[in-house]
Amino acid sequence: MWRGFKTSYRSVIRVPFGPQHPALKEPENFTFEIDGDIVINVKPRIGYNHRGIEKAFEQRTYIQNLYLAERICGICSDAHTTCYAQAIEDLLGVEAPPRAKYIRVIIAELERIHSHSLWLGIAAHEIGFDTLFMYYWRDREAVMNLLEMISGNRVHYAMNTIGGVRRDIRSEMIPKIKKGLDFLEGRMKRYMEIVKQDLTISKRTEGVGILKQKDAMDLCAVGPTLRASGIKNDVRADDPYAAYDEIPFNVITYDGCDVLSRILVRSEEIFESIRIIRYALDHIPDGMTRIRVPMAVPPGEAVSRVEAPRGELIHYARSDGTTKPERYKVRSPTLGNIPALCKMLLGCHIADIPIILAGIDPCFACMDRITFIDVRKDEKWVWSMQQLRRHTKR
Amino acid sequence: MYTLTSILQILVYPGILFLLLLAFLYEWIDRKFLAKVQNRYGPLYTGPSGILQPFADFLKLLSKEDIVPTATDKILFSLTPIIYSVLPLIALFIIPIESQIAIISFEGDLIFVMFIFTLIIVTVYLAGLGSMSRFSLIGGVRAALQMLGYEIPMGLAMIGPAIIAGSLSISSIVHWQSVNSVWIMFLQPLGFIILTVCLLAELEYVPFDIPEAETEIVAGWRTEFSGRKLALIKLGKDLELVLSSALLTSLYLGGAQPAWILPPVILFIIKTMFIVLLFTFLRGIFARFRIDQTVSGMWRYLIPLAILQVIFIQLGVGR
Repeated sequence: MWRGFKTSYRSVIRVPFGPQHPALKEPENFTFEIDGDIVINVKPRIGYNHRGIEKAFEQRTYIQNLYLAERICGICSDAHTTCYAQAIEDLLGVEAPPRAKYIRVIIAELERIHSHSLWLGIAAHEIGFDTLFMYYWRDREAVMNLLEMISGNRVHYAMNTIGGVRRDIRSEMIPKIKKGLDFLEGRMKRYMEIVKQDLTISKRTEGVGILKQKDAMDLCAVGPTLRASGIKNDVRADDPYAAYDEIPFNVITYDGCDVLSRILVRSEEIFESIRIIRYALDHIPDGMTRIRVPMAVPPGEAVSRVEAPRGELIHYARSDGTTKPERYKVRSPTLGNIPALCKMLLGCHIADIPIILAGIDPCFACMDRITFIDVRKDEKWVWSMQQLRRHTKR
Repeated sequence: MYTLTSILQILVYPGILFLLLLAFLYEWIDRKFLAKVQNRYGPLYTGPSGILQPFADFLKLLSKEDIVPTATDKILFSLTPIIYSVLPLIALFIIPIESQIAIISFEGDLIFVMFIFTLIIVTVYLAGLGSMSRFSLIGGVRAALQMLGYEIPMGLAMIGPAIIAGSLSISSIVHWQSVNSVWIMFLQPLGFIILTVCLLAELEYVPFDIPEAETEIVAGWRTEFSGRKLALIKLGKDLELVLSSALLTSLYLGGAQPAWILPPVILFIIKTMFIVLLFTFLRGIFARFRIDQTVSGMWRYLIPLAILQVIFIQLGVGR
């Protein structure tokens, strides 16, 4: 924003931020050009954390890949398996039974509550409000316990399979889930009040990290970041998958375009998720939870979209008729938000960098992929699995 | 005999040893109560309810490797932790603890305490400068900048009690409160609030923990310190907590007064503990301000309020 002025007498310093920094939970590097206390340019350098996961997909069978997809992310593990299962179901030309679709919705929304309350805690921590951080994370345990009761696991639920879900929600679980949701709703209402009323929180988040509606559209932001800029965009509503076309819900938007709006969007989405789960529990149809599918998948291509807690998640699969995919591609929501993030950071104070960075709920480890590019020769290539293995052992 | 008593006074009670004990005790109270506020356990294993944890941490740090990065200014880097821990100790000799007269007491010692508070921040700035690390430098500069905000209201809030008591000596102010059997807090509540806020900033507690903001600049000005130096810095911080609570107690809560059959020191400890709890509670319920917000807020609200308080006293309200 200052580049139009005569910069000869201004001293612009370059401050590297990461790959190791307390505000970044995962290694990623941003180089800031700073004039006094104001950021005038940002250069992101992604790719510190690639795991060769797409290559690994090509080495495993479709059933094994289910567990690999689960492990792309430690927070939104269910979103990735749902997306994977949908892509493969699409290739197979089958559809999950209605009851399985409802169970997928319930797990996805429970996961959204868990992910959002985790993020809200981190946001509080980034602005120095450790007490709120502790309380958010304490009450997040309630939803973790519900997930554990349903699936047997707290993080990697392993609920989805190709053609349905692996576990059923039994009728005696339903009152327990509802009780847990009532508790969560009460607590989250209280925290929402705190966020809205506390002077220090609004001082640190209001008008910080502005992403205007037009910029959000142009830079293809996704998820809560986009909705906090006032754009009604949600895969659940725009391109319904699972049972979302049968469940009424609102897409939450705020038009503050700042970090406070991002906090409020996520807080409100928790309430919306609670409403969706209650509706789904009341209207869940009877029937089987999975159908058997063949091991080999017919040749073809499929793209599947899911609204993960962080935003739109895209999986692409290409099959050559064997038991292993020929090519698999994952576009996680964080990658979609990086250009928007660089826009938000322009013109902010140094002290606001952590909260703006955290504002998109980054998950860099899910995002990083690698391709080798030789700029001079204009060549591109990827490593084979053996080369990757050799590289890690070195 | 007289010399022996005064040496014992300085070294043991109510001097260095006693103050160090208080420092560790207050750190424990602070940590434990903050944990309660945040719904955690806090220190638990060392001693009953973890009461020995601060001391154990201190010993552990003493035995750790003392790393001096090559880029540092060696003299500044090794001197600042010592100065930082000694300065609050000196100031504490001026504050009456076991009787109404402090170990060192002279007309004008209140000004001396203000001076020491400033020196502490200067030390912090030098420590940041001497570390030559990006985070330390920003932390040190932030500490100095923050001081520009709160130093003036803090001075004005300390002057209020001095005007009433007609003396610039802390011992005389304590004595005046005892003679008139009134706490200045009730006469000048505004001054009490202002001094509390300023001391929160001096102690680098939330919402003013800007110089050591963990998520922004790692550990701020103390990032590069380790081992013995970090132990001394932590001790200095604890002593600063004792000093701040002792100063607030002496100026506004009557200080070391004898009550009924209890010796003054008991009442002093109870009151300072109450102040520590107040500090801890306040640090638990806010988010961190940004440095520009802090400085402009101090100049916009705290300084006019502090001047208003002095005007009130001159007009005869609250004396």
